[in-house]
This record gives sequence, structure tokens and C-alpha cells, in this order.
Amino acid sequence: MSMRPPRHFLLRGYVVLVFIFVFTPILTSFIFSVNSDRFPTIPLGHFTTHWYETIFADPDVWDAFRISGIVSISVAILATFIGFCTAYTDYRYNFTGKALYLSLALLPPTIPLVIMGLAMLALLARINMSGEIYSIVVSHVVLCSPFAMAVIRMRLAQIDPDLESAAWNLGASNWRAMGEVIVPFCRPAIASAFLLTAAVSFDEFAVAWFVSGLNKTVPVIILEILQGNTDPQINAIGSIVFITSMTLVILAQLILMRKTINQTAAGI
Amino acid sequence: MSATNAPRPLVSFDAVSKRYGSVIAVHTMNLEIYEGEFLAIMGPSGCGKTTSLRMLAGLEEPSEGEIQLDGQRINEISSVERDTPMVWQSLALFPFLNVQKNVEFGLKMRAIPTEERQQRARRWLERLEILELADRDISQLSGGQKQRVALARSLVTEPRILLLDEPLSALDANLVVRMQGVLSRLQKELGITFVYVTHSQSEAFAMSDRVVIMSQGRIEQIGSPKAIYRSPASRFVADFVGANNILSGSVTGTGDALGISTAVGHFLCNPSAAVDYSEADNLDMVISADLVQISMENPTLQNSLRCRFISEEFVGSIVTIFAELEDGSDFKVQARQRDLANMALEEGATFFASWNASDAHLISPNKA
Amino acid sequence: MKQRRQVTLYGLTWSMPIVVWQLIFFVFPLIFLLLISFWLVKNYRMVPGFDTVNWVKMFSKGYFWDAYWRTLGYAGVATIVTSILAFPCAFALAFKVSPKVRRWALFFLIVPFFTSYLVRTYSWQIFLNDNGIFNTLFALIGLGPFQLLNNFFGTLVGYLTLCLPLVVVLQLISLANVDRTLVEAAHNLGCGRLRTVFQVIVPLAKIGIILGAVFTFILAFGDFVSPYYLGGSKPPTLSILIIDTTKSGQQWPRAAVVAVVMILTLLTIMFAAVGAAYRKRT
Repeated sequence: MSMRPPRHFLLRGYVVLVFIFVFTPILTSFIFSVNSDRFPTIPLGHFTTHWYETIFADPDVWDAFRISGIVSISVAILATFIGFCTAYTDYRYNFTGKALYLSLALLPPTIPLVIMGLAMLALLARINMSGEIYSIVVSHVVLCSPFAMAVIRMRLAQIDPDLESAAWNLGASNWRAMGEVIVPFCRPAIASAFLLTAAVSFDEFAVAWFVSGLNKTVPVIILEILQGNTDPQINAIGSIVFITSMTLVILAQLILMRKTINQTAAGI
Repeated sequence: MSATNAPRPLVSFDAVSKRYGSVIAVHTMNLEIYEGEFLAIMGPSGCGKTTSLRMLAGLEEPSEGEIQLDGQRINEISSVERDTPMVWQSLALFPFLNVQKNVEFGLKMRAIPTEERQQRARRWLERLEILELADRDISQLSGGQKQRVALARSLVTEPRILLLDEPLSALDANLVVRMQGVLSRLQKELGITFVYVTHSQSEAFAMSDRVVIMSQGRIEQIGSPKAIYRSPASRFVADFVGANNILSGSVTGTGDALGISTAVGHFLCNPSAAVDYSEADNLDMVISADLVQISMENPTLQNSLRCRFISEEFVGSIVTIFAELEDGSDFKVQARQRDLANMALEEGATFFASWNASDAHLISPNKA
Repeated sequence: MKQRRQVTLYGLTWSMPIVVWQLIFFVFPLIFLLLISFWLVKNYRMVPGFDTVNWVKMFSKGYFWDAYWRTLGYAGVATIVTSILAFPCAFALAFKVSPKVRRWALFFLIVPFFTSYLVRTYSWQIFLNDNGIFNTLFALIGLGPFQLLNNFFGTLVGYLTLCLPLVVVLQLISLANVDRTLVEAAHNLGCGRLRTVFQVIVPLAKIGIILGAVFTFILAFGDFVSPYYLGGSKPPTLSILIIDTTKSGQQWPRAAVVAVVMILTLLTIMFAAVGAAYRKRT
């Protein structure tokens, strides 16, 4: 397999270009969050923490962070639980209508968020459930449980299929086997599903915008700033959101990885 | 190529080495492969046999040395431009194409017109007795059928050489024997060169004209199956091939028969004509397990040993007896089951193993 | 370890939560949406009923069909452009780099999912603006200004921001699973390098490529952020139409009509694509 250096070089250059495209808006947002000019352009102004000070002085922003926190933690708990149940069902049982069951579980991310928002608001408003924090929570659980299910299902795919049978064989009931074997085995995946769904919920703006009413989450605040005039506050909030989400994701990743490494080291 | 009547080599490896970083996969390999022969390359895994084959196919580039095909250097010719089709261990059939399209693939790449392409593909399918499978999906085929498709796909361009990389290793035992027959017949009928890489002695010996034994990137021996089996050139070959007993010792008497003194006794052995032996030379004596006779009271042949019976293993009508010598080393004997019928072989029993001086083979450890 | 069919409390405990939750908060709202598409609006209030008037009205409006075809076209172009731009990158990461680089690349491709799409959109505004960074740079070499924002180009940049990393990941996973011996077999049978990509590698990675395309289509078809903030919101896409129809004028039933049409379109496309992905060879 002789190398063709020029073509190789072109292809690598292209990969770099794609990554530049992907990361330019992310890095730009960081840069302009500490840039003094109100109207972002080059050359840059001087360094400032002004925009961070402004948002931290704004009680609405604090409120939004509080609501986002409540929402994402509640969503993470519920979605992870539902996702676990579904993943286990898929792993353990075969039944007629399973395809339908799985599409019911996995379809939500394919419906445009605007439509989800509209439908949720229409229904919740009708039964007087809209505009509350839990309105956002129930909608986000719909969107997030498929992600939780996927993460936990992947973990269950690695389980030794005889493990559960062995537990029964040793006299454990279904429930005991679940508690003693399945749940401990899935613990890293459960943790990472929890953090992942929290991150997804923390970032979601469309459905939240429809159903939140006065209980605005952080992304909804961003959306509203975006609708107004140019305002570098958006970069400051965006950077905080990014750091929050990334912390959750990296934590999820680390938990998964440490568990795998420990097991590889301990196993055999 | 200097030999007067030797057939023309189709392929020659001239001091070819292949390195991966600091690992040497193939070490200054010299090998000529002749037009129309069935050559097996055999050795344990990691011995460099597959790497050699892949270099011939152009899938790896030699680090040093030159590979010639038909007298021309092919080091720089890419796999795409060589006509050195290969049959993979996994067979590497394209799952998204049906049987006929798989077979046509090589012709399509050579821009053969559709009609001719289809005819030629069908001709090969017919030849391999799988024409009725032409429209099947690859996933619908059995192991043996896939094998035939892979062969048809490689042969459809009518190459002068076919490379096979352990193609039968995924099949079950009786299918292997059937496919060996198919391959042997095909090679004779076509008269083209087959280079067959395997770790299986039975496959290599059943089909090939010549066998190359490799170990740790080097060629240990090249020869006919019989020569390799009866006259292993090195201790490695003697160990790797067949069921051999190896006794190390030194020369104590020269003459028509050499005297060899070992830890378990003194034996006579016919010397190889080409080698000069002198007193106190250290060497290995190889006694093939199937040339040893067993007796309970007295030894029956020139050389003999006392053995203690440990266990036996039956494969068909052949019994392999595993025994222990006085110094604790192992000794194997192969015999027909009925010849042992009235012997009381049970654990701990002692017996005599004996063989003729002409049936032992000598390897000098410091071979030239 | 699939068990014999037997309904137990244990089985129901694990299988039912998702069914209950998705029926109440996913299926039911969508059915309700279908229902209100037949309701009427009187004095800015929705009145339950069954009248096809919303459907007739929407279907007779030129602007609805314009928006429909425009959205379909935008999503189609986004799908093709994203798939084509993603492929060489996914290919290079699958075949031309070490596993270590590949793992890092994968990690960095997943990072964008956790950055606010809104903030990234805002960043692009800074770049694409009439006096934005790109035009400032162009001016330095005496070019421009070009209109990069508030047109389809801007929208497309947004779609790419949303979809490109995802599509690269999906294609990469598929390509990384391509059996290397099949690639070698193709070379061995005389198939040139570029030709092998199209004759062998693309068919083998078909599922990932189609999956990436389907996701792009779904996301672009439903997204309102790019066409609104980078495309200038006019002329509207279907999502913008839904927002405009609900937020101003309280015409929920008509918005529901648009939503139902969108869902039907997406389902059709998805079934067609899944069919294509898993169809046997032609």
C-alpha cells in the first residue's frame, strides 16, 4: 500500500477545515464574551469581564439558572429511570409488537421541536398545566428518555447473558437479581445517562420556549436576547452554559471510562 | 535460475525483508515459485507466511529486496495493477453484490463489455458447480458454496497465479477434505500456479508439490512433502511437522553406520551421504513415531529404548502412544490399533520401542 | 435471554413506564394537535368542533405551498450538501488516521452537541454580517461586501452548524466498521483507489450514510433558528410559519395543519430512507 503523500495531505487539510468550521462559532463566542466592544467585529477591543458582571447582576438570569437547574435535574432523574426500564425490557423480553414498542420509545427525537412545543402547549394549556416548571419537565422527559435508553441499552449489550440466569439459579428472585446483578452492572451507564439527559435538557430551547410561560430557562433567555439587538451578554451566558454542559458530559465520560478501565484491570 | 533444466520461475523473492517498526516479519527471504506448481507455505502463526503472500499480492510493500513476477520487478506495482488474485481466509466476498456480480467484479474493473463479462462469469460458476446460485445473496450461501464463489471470483480473469490465504480454516473437517480435492483438481486442470498459505500440515501435504516451512520470518526448509516429512532439515521442522521424536547426542563412532550416544542410550544411525561426520559432533536424531515398533519382552529392531506407558490417543485406526523415557523425556509411538491388540499396555507398564538404523534421520544442530 | 411469553408484574414494571409516559405526553399531544386542526377560532378563542375549514384555507393559500416547497428544497439541499461535505472528513478519519486520533476526533465532534445552538448561530451572525468579520477581511483585500446573511447561504451555514458534526460521526462509525479485507479484495481484483471508494466502501457504509442524511433532513426540515436568524426569516419556512401563526393571531388550528403536514412528510421520507438503507441489493 504505497502512500500518495499529496492526496493524503489534501484529505488531512480538509479534516482540519471541517473542525475549524465546527469550532469557529464556539470559540468566537468565548472570545467575544470577554471583548469590550458592544458591536462585535475585528479588530477586537480590550479584555473585559463586563458582560459577565452584567448577567450576574441580573436577577432574571439567576432565576433562569435556578429554573434550568431544577428542570434538568428532575428531567435527568425521570428520563434515566424510564430509559433504564425501557432498555431492560428491550434486553430481556421478546414480544409481539416489540417494533411498535421500540418506535414509541425512540421516535420523539425525529419530531421537529417546534411541533413538539406546539403540541405540548396546546394540550397542557387545555388541561391547565402550561406555564409551570413541571410543564417543561414532562416535555423534556419525552425528548430525553430515548437518549437515556440508548446509553443504558449499550451497556446491557455487554452483560454476560448468563449472569442473570446464574443469579436465579442461585435462588435469587427476579427482583433480587435485578437489584444484585443488573443495576450494579449498569451503574456507570445510569450515571452517564443521568448527566447526558441533564445536559440535553439544560440546552433545549424550542419546547421550553413554548411551554415555559414566565418560568424561563437559560436557553429561553438566550433566545429572547437573540430576538432583540446585538448583545454580547449572549456570549457570556452561552459560555457559562457551555462550561456547565461540558462538565456534565466529561463527567459522564469519565465515569464510563473509569468503570471500564477498572473492570478490565480487575477482570481475568 | 542458473540450473540448466529447472523450469522457469514465475515468481522470485530476492532477499526480501519486511519490517514493521522494529519487528521483522520477513527476514531476507529467497524463494522461487515455478509456473504451474502448487506451493504451500506453512508455519505457526506469526512466522511471516501471510506477510510474504501479501507482498506478492501487492498489499504490502517489501522493506528490502526485490520481488519479480515473470522476470519483472513488481515492488512498485500496486495491487490494483497486478493480476495476482487472492482468496482470503474470510473469503472477502462483497455482501452487497450477488454471486454473479461478485464473480464479474474483476472483469468489470478491466472494462470487459457486459455481455462477455456475464458469459465468462457464468462459465466459471458452471465450472465450480454453482451456476444455479448465480442470483443468490452471499448471506444465503453455505461455507462451501462461498468458497467456490471466492474461487470463481479470483479465477475469472484467468490469472497465471492464484494466492490462497488459509481459505479452508473456517470450514468443518469433512468439508475441508472435499475442498482440498476441488482445489487440487482445479490446479491440475488449469495448470496455473497456486500459492497456498496454511498452518495446517494435512492441507499442505495433501495438495502441494512443494512445501515451504517458515519460522520467525525465515524459511526453514523447502522441499516436497515427503522430503520434509522424512528428512526435516532443522530441529524446528522436525518438531513442527509430523509426530517426531528428537534425541540429542554426539557422534561416538563413524563408519557405515554412525554411533550416536545420547542421555538415554547408544544408537546406530545411517549417515546422510552429503555430510561429513566426525567424532564428538553434536547432533539431533529424529525418529518418526510411525517407524517405531513396540514389543513387550525383547526389542525387535536394531535400536531400542525402554519406555514407560503414560497414555494413548486414538484417531481412526491409528493409535498414538505417549510414553516416558528413563531420563523423563517424552517419546511417541504410532501404530495400528490391531497390531497392539494383544499387548497389555496400561499406565506404568514398560515396553520396548525399537527402530532401524536406516529409519532415523540426522540433523546437525550447527547446520551450514 | 428472551423469556417465554408470560405477563408478570415484574415484566410490566419495566415495560410500562415508557408506554404510559409517551402515550400521555407524546402520542396524545400529537393526536390532540391533529384534532385541533379541525377546531375553529372564534373571538381569539379555540372552539372544539370538526370542520375542515382550516385545511381548506391552508391548502388554498399560495404562501403555504411556497413555504412547503421551500422548506422541502432547503432540507433537501442541506441533506445533500452536508452528506457530501461530511464524507471526505469521515473517510479520512476512518481510514487515514491512527485509532488514537480517531478517538479524539470523535470526542471533539460530540462536543458541539453540548454547546448552545443559539449561541453558535449568534456567532455566525458576527461573521456573516454586512460589516461582520468576513466582510471586514474581504474589504482588506479589496473585495465585497458580500451579502452572506439573511439569504439561503446564511441558512445553509446554520444547517451545517447543526448537522455536520452529527453526520460526520454517523458516517465515521459506519466507515470504521467497513471490513478492511473487502477493500483489499477490491484492490486485488483490479479496482482502483477512488473507484473502490464508490464501488465498495460507499455500499458497505450505506446505512451510516443514509442515517446521516435522514437526520440532516429531519433537523433542517424542522429547524427554525437558522432560517430565522441567519436566513432572515423571510420568506418563511414551515417552522417559521407555525411560530408566526401561533404567536401572532392565535391561529392554532392552522398551525396544527402545518404541523400535521410536516409530520406526514417526515414520516414518508423516513420510511422511504429506512427502506433504502435496509433493502437488499438491487
